Amino acid sequence: MTTGTLERFRSRITSIDSMPTIPVILRPLLHCLDQPVEQIDVARIVELISYDKSVAAQCVRMANSALFGRNKPVESVRTAVMNLGMWRIRDLLFSNSLSQVIPANRWIVDPSVFWRHSLGVALVSRKFAEILGYPDTEKAYLAGLLHDIGILVNSMVAPEEFRATFEKATREQIPLNEAESSALGFTHCDSGRVLGEAWKITPDLIQAIELHHDIGDPERGGPLVAIVHLSDLLCRLRDLGYGYYEPRQIDFAHEPGWLYLVMQFPNLADLDLARFTFTLDEYAKEVRELVSTVFTP
Amino acid sequence: MPKMANETAVLASEAILGEELTDPVWIRIRDLIYQVSGIYQAENKFYLLISRCHVRMKAVGARTPREYMDFLMARPNRDAEMRSLLNEITIGETCLFRSVPQIEALRKVVIPALAEAKRKLSFTKLRFWSAGCSTGEESYTLAMILLEETQTSLKGWTFEIMATDLNERSIAKAQEGVYNDYAVRNVPPDFMRKYFTQVGTSFRVADSVRKCVTFNRLNMLDDSKMLFMRGIDVIFCCNVLIYFDGKSKTRTVNHFYNALLTNGYFFLGQSESLYGITEKFHLVHFPGATGYWKTNPPDANAGAA
Repeated sequence: MTTGTLERFRSRITSIDSMPTIPVILRPLLHCLDQPVEQIDVARIVELISYDKSVAAQCVRMANSALFGRNKPVESVRTAVMNLGMWRIRDLLFSNSLSQVIPANRWIVDPSVFWRHSLGVALVSRKFAEILGYPDTEKAYLAGLLHDIGILVNSMVAPEEFRATFEKATREQIPLNEAESSALGFTHCDSGRVLGEAWKITPDLIQAIELHHDIGDPERGGPLVAIVHLSDLLCRLRDLGYGYYEPRQIDFAHEPGWLYLVMQFPNLADLDLARFTFTLDEYAKEVRELVSTVFTP
Repeated sequence: MPKMANETAVLASEAILGEELTDPVWIRIRDLIYQVSGIYQAENKFYLLISRCHVRMKAVGARTPREYMDFLMARPNRDAEMRSLLNEITIGETCLFRSVPQIEALRKVVIPALAEAKRKLSFTKLRFWSAGCSTGEESYTLAMILLEETQTSLKGWTFEIMATDLNERSIAKAQEGVYNDYAVRNVPPDFMRKYFTQVGTSFRVADSVRKCVTFNRLNMLDDSKMLFMRGIDVIFCCNVLIYFDGKSKTRTVNHFYNALLTNGYFFLGQSESLYGITEKFHLVHFPGATGYWKTNPPDANAGAA
């Protein structure tokens, strides 16, 4: 196996033809949602939805799905938006627009597995942030959603090497970043950072992407990185991972990210972690439902 | 037969449900159950909670969930009613191979970790305790898993399974090792072929499995007896503590803690937790399951240095 380095791939990552491009509606959407909740422009969001026929159709389909089953079928986009609520519309918009980042035939990780994980980590990160009293819960959501975009980069710029690496991780049931480090010489955290810089997303989000596996000194990334790191671990253990079994145990009391958060947010020490885990199982069901709506052909 | 009864109960109450699912009283009942017993009913399993409550509501003559809440909180015999409800909730929980994620965690994470640590000390024996074993389903599941492991990853190892329960009739039934088709519904087909023989409409556990388990009557509230349980690697105690009051829970769990070797594991039922009972154990996460781990606190070494 030849060992590449991130530098060798950097030119490929930043060259125009192979780099994933930021979806058209994502930037205005990010902008819309970067406001305090009460200032979010609902009309603008509805307008953005209408730009994209497939997104609009998905909203309607989801409003009619078993999860939100109503007696009367929902037909208009406006009613669908009303029924689903802003948060779910946003979930749907993000996963849909990000899923257009790379062409359908270039996926190496099953796209529905990928989005189940990303959306799962986004929702769990937001919940975590809420529990902690971390002020920017939406930032936590976004960081969770974007944390693995490096997987898309790797699928685009090093498809063969990445496919072999992902297969190896699945076969040996080891964490993906470990397999990447030994086979590629860089991880999806590194390539995700490069893409994040190219997309000009905010530095704290880039840090969450770069450090979510190996948080190193927790002071460096602050609470946001620790939140995404722990949410990623939890999701991988609650059937919202990369689609394969990872035989391991996680003891939060030994996790540097957890210990750091307990220091920063003393109320965390009183958290009923078992109950929190049980509620994750409720999330997991909702996330699966949402993702299956987005990926129904 | 029990299968029919269960299904009918669920179907019947599903018909009543409809709008009822959203009644906030269920959330309060759920929280009350969690507070009293540590059993958590996830919202996607509310239909089960509601159907169980309906069975009890009918029995006591409560017409609305709110009225039933009163039976659980305000009436003089509320403790007895809570026990009856918990009985109803845990009914049908006893079957072989009840929790696949827990079994997988045991096979793929817990046993390899314990074996690695013990191998370093030249030990080749593992000891398990099924505490509150009821009619033996969990104990025999464990025995089959371990028999398989000793033929593969644990060649040359021996194991011991102690199974205890307060109820003598349960113990007698467990020793018999005969189960109906509902109790064996989750058993993988190759285990079924290998370890069971059909007797009429029932299934009898093979002698090779039965001789792996020793059944004994034990009252977990009897401190003098509990003190004798020592040197255990893994304890299972599923849906038993829910019937104890707060103090007895803490006392019993402390006994479990002392019975375990360092690095030993303690497993509760799938939706139970030790929150508020003790902080001695570390909650650890496995894929799809949680367990409790007896380990030295991370700051113990730091403090000594």
